[in-house]
Amino acid sequence: MTSIKQNPSLYRIVVTHYAVSACCFLGLTLLMLLSVQAFTGHYFHPQILAITHLAALGWGTLIIMGASYQLIPVVLETDLYSEKLAWVSFILFMPGMVGLIWSFWIFVPGIYMQGSALLLLASIILFTVNVYLTGRQKQQETIQETFIFSACLCLCLTVALGAALVFNFTLPIFPQDSLYFLKLHAHLGLIGWFLLMLIGVSSKLVPMFLVSRYQGTRLLSWSYYLIIGALLYFLIDTYLFGLSYRTYIVLIIGGPGLACYFIFLYKCLRSRLRKQVDLPMLNSFLSFILLKIAVLLVPFIIYFHLKHNPATIRFSMVYGELMFMGWITSLILGQTFKTLPFIVWVKHYEHLTGKFKTPLPSDLFADYLLKAQTIAFLVFCITFMPGCYLMLVPLIYTGVAALMTTAVLYVSNVCIVIFHQTRTYGQL
Amino acid sequence: MDSFDITDPLSFLKADIMETLRLVIDPELHINIVDLGLVYGINVDADKNLVLVTMTLSSAYCPMGESIISAVKNCIEGHYESYTAEVVLVWQPVWSYDNISEEGKRLLGL
Repeated sequence: MTSIKQNPSLYRIVVTHYAVSACCFLGLTLLMLLSVQAFTGHYFHPQILAITHLAALGWGTLIIMGASYQLIPVVLETDLYSEKLAWVSFILFMPGMVGLIWSFWIFVPGIYMQGSALLLLASIILFTVNVYLTGRQKQQETIQETFIFSACLCLCLTVALGAALVFNFTLPIFPQDSLYFLKLHAHLGLIGWFLLMLIGVSSKLVPMFLVSRYQGTRLLSWSYYLIIGALLYFLIDTYLFGLSYRTYIVLIIGGPGLACYFIFLYKCLRSRLRKQVDLPMLNSFLSFILLKIAVLLVPFIIYFHLKHNPATIRFSMVYGELMFMGWITSLILGQTFKTLPFIVWVKHYEHLTGKFKTPLPSDLFADYLLKAQTIAFLVFCITFMPGCYLMLVPLIYTGVAALMTTAVLYVSNVCIVIFHQTRTYGQL
Repeated sequence: MDSFDITDPLSFLKADIMETLRLVIDPELHINIVDLGLVYGINVDADKNLVLVTMTLSSAYCPMGESIISAVKNCIEGHYESYTAEVVLVWQPVWSYDNISEEGKRLLGL
């Protein structure tokens, strides 16, 4: 049996990742406020690049890395290979991320941008090695393991391609311009890293948190092969020929792959023992709806691109926002309050439980803050995305204000959990 | 759960321990582990002052497994101070929905 095993050093690594990631989310909303006009233009814009990388690295990747150190041993049923490696990876990641975002923001593609990209690459390689060596300690291979290893490999490739693109600004590495490779870089990250990782981890956690009776893995296997097939097809075809009518084949392969995952989630939901779905899980289900909407925009992006219609830029912008600020953000906003309270609860109460009446993990965060955060995030979704599509600045401002409110509420609630003081309600 | 055997002098103690284990709550489901059907049996070795709890978890990779086991030991040793407790985790029979008691189902809203 593998459980959340707590030792002070692992706890520090995990909580540091959660805390820094929460600060990045707050910083991200601040950068968005300073760049409202940029959201009405092209996505290849210094400020949009800085914001996207802060969302992808500081907000999305950092929290996934932190949660991974705690949850991958649960999912893979073995101990984390090295805590030292995790710290070194974090120490390389931070200056790399800050340097890269600053260099994008002021857009100086020189030595600082290149050095930052290399630091990030080194950090990600160490993270991947740590995950790989953690999984290697285990004999039996599961579909979750395949998802997670593939995701880490894609993350390495994403950052390697990103680093090459950074060097390409000053040294001609690629014959084509950076925009040509941006699609490949973005989709390696979005589909290869985020989607595979989130499916891999959620396929264990969702049934566990819902206490679901469904244990099948066939749908997950189909999902894996179809999504990987779609990703490889997209990368090769787009690299060789650019976007064309053949690009629709990606949807024909990847669509059913995603559908398999959604059916898996639906089966878990239907066979759950716990009938009441709590707010963190509702946030997670909202994220899957936003992912579906984002995928439904892809045919329009391809269609307008092939017709040389500038609407493709608007659709691409909304697609990216739905992926980063919709799907990934909503999932993190929900899952933080499923995972972090458990991690903190184990530290404070594992030795007391059974002796004293103690709070439960769900008592560690403020429910009213989470409710307010969910409402603020919904306001963001229904104002910001249409605002960007219609290029309506007041609507974009409203959306950013709602997201800032979401971030403040989220950070406050994360602080409440992290700084929780042990308390008991008398002996049992 | 073992049936009550009136010829066994320890039956009353075992039943009492089983009732005491209702104080151990599953942190995610908020329901006690007895009504969840996680406890398969209780044995008492009076000579060694040892309580042996045979139990399972809802899944082999339950992240709160260690906490639940720790709670079971703490609960028994706290209430029966002369006894030490040991937990034996078993995976057969596999825990299923049918293990939940009527009271457990009511609490889960089933």
